[in-house]
Amino acid sequence: MPIHDLGYRPWNGEKCGRWLRPRFIAASGIALVWRRKWLRLMLMLAWLPIFVPAIGIFAFEYSSTEPQMLQFVGNLVGGPLQRPDLAMQLLADPDSARHEVWTLLIMAFFRYPQLSAMVLLVGLIAPMLISYDLRSRAYLMYFSRPLNVIDYMLGKASVVWFFLSMIVTLPALILYLIGVMLSPDLSVVQQTWDIPIRILSASVVLLVPTTIVAMCYSAHTSESRYASFSWFATWILGFVAYQILTFMGTNFGPRRRRGFVDGLLLESIDYDRWRLLSPYHALGKVQASIFGLDTTPGSVVPSVLLLIAVTIVGAWLVRRKILALLSI
Amino acid sequence: MIQVRNLVKRYRGVEALRGVTLEVSDGITGLLGPNGSGKSTLIKSLLGLVKTNEGQGTVVGKEWPGQVREIRELVGYLPEDDCYIAGLSGIESVALMANLSGLPKTEGLRRAHEICDFCDFGEERYRPVESYSTGMRQKLKFAQALVHDPPLLILDEPTTGLDPSQRESMLRRIKTLHTHYGKSVLLSTHILPDVKAICDSVIIMVAGTVKVVDTLENLSRPIHPTQHVMVLGDSSRLVQRVRENGLEVEVECDGNLRISPLESQRVELLWQLAAETDTKIRRLVPAMNSLDKIFIDTASLSEVR
Repeated sequence: MPIHDLGYRPWNGEKCGRWLRPRFIAASGIALVWRRKWLRLMLMLAWLPIFVPAIGIFAFEYSSTEPQMLQFVGNLVGGPLQRPDLAMQLLADPDSARHEVWTLLIMAFFRYPQLSAMVLLVGLIAPMLISYDLRSRAYLMYFSRPLNVIDYMLGKASVVWFFLSMIVTLPALILYLIGVMLSPDLSVVQQTWDIPIRILSASVVLLVPTTIVAMCYSAHTSESRYASFSWFATWILGFVAYQILTFMGTNFGPRRRRGFVDGLLLESIDYDRWRLLSPYHALGKVQASIFGLDTTPGSVVPSVLLLIAVTIVGAWLVRRKILALLSI
Repeated sequence: MIQVRNLVKRYRGVEALRGVTLEVSDGITGLLGPNGSGKSTLIKSLLGLVKTNEGQGTVVGKEWPGQVREIRELVGYLPEDDCYIAGLSGIESVALMANLSGLPKTEGLRRAHEICDFCDFGEERYRPVESYSTGMRQKLKFAQALVHDPPLLILDEPTTGLDPSQRESMLRRIKTLHTHYGKSVLLSTHILPDVKAICDSVIIMVAGTVKVVDTLENLSRPIHPTQHVMVLGDSSRLVQRVRENGLEVEVECDGNLRISPLESQRVELLWQLAAETDTKIRRLVPAMNSLDKIFIDTASLSEVR
């Protein structure tokens, strides 16, 4: 017996609120995931793309003293970001283009490098969250405590949300702050105050459905690798299917549609139908809409409905699976 | 501690619990029953892990099944299954369970260390739980059940997989928790000596129903006063004479006799018959029913029905 062992002692302390308890599931999950070296490395690498939009914002703000910088930003916006109209506006009146340039750069950061990093990160973290508990029957430990299934799901989802926020929301907010600090005066806040709100909204759109889908896969197998495989298959197959179907539609399909986007008459194939097959494109559509930069034809509503449906059905499936496990 | 009435649980038409009504008072209560008798289902139902089809009552003074979350605050549960949170060390597991039961973060860790000391964890508390032996995992589950200081412990096969010395320690701890700290314990087990060692009362379940609820003392007492007689040498003549006097004699496999109905006040008769038949009695004590016999009788009677 250890010399400091006082034997059993009753505990009469004050208990913390029930709503705080999912936090403990999240904290232990985060601590467990954080122990993996590859994850820490991945998190660091996921921050690297921030330099591109940061340089863009820096160049834009620096152009007030160094006008040649404006050309660089114009090339960036008109070239890789495919917004020649904004490039022209930017060269004509930089002040009026500030909001859109910042938003475009931040959205591009969200849309391309971070969405890919998100797919990789969630695919590696989320499947093991519930799968491991199924394998080791840990859910009995959780549910013998004053927790319900929602608390459990919230705690598990928070682990993913934490890491995703670290690579998506936090860098995007830092980008915005960089913009504010580099701008000539603080009046830009008045002009761009809505950007942080858009960042947070786009983050919610990104984090919630994706996490629920990953947890749903995880809840249906005790082998986390199957859940990971399903996750990556969903994204890759959806992306490839969308590309093939839109290519076929563009080159061989008879169905075309005319419509106005930003005052321009566009004739295009009906992308809407196929976008619903690809989580990548459905998410992109909604995020672009949140940032106010959606230039693709078609309504955002089907994509929003798809994400809502995926979230609700996914959460229902996870809950159902856990309750079924407890009944055995 | 526990009062439930008419508890029914059906799994796709099969009744796992058939109108269970029972009352568990303070103390250590053994929950016995053959495999598939519904013990684990009953325990899971009390904790709200399994939704029941019918039934109501109170557990630790809380409405059941209406207040299962409140009940879980007041109950420490040691599951029968091998379950652990992968990746965590022993101390982290216990601390997490403390936190989930409402202990603040730092206090949870302090309390986890205190309980690990009580359970003789030593330095092994810092090892990942996956590397624990079966015995260590049992101790870990016990520590997790105890960490939030619940007034009622529900222990499902707590001594399974323990070596004799660990089993002894586990039973001693359970006994200590009751006698010194007033904890009530519902102990579900197949190991009858464990029940005999520490339980005050016993519940025997068979085929989803409660067949016996009584104190061990009452159960051990035979229906008719019986004497247990150990005889030196041949006992056949004594047996014959005893039967001629209207008493029933059961000859056990080891040659000892159980004679009934024979009160302690009337043992003079037995001594007299022994003298007449020239039989030497080595030992004469009031007979008690063994728990094994009670258990087997209850289970077999139910099967016959």
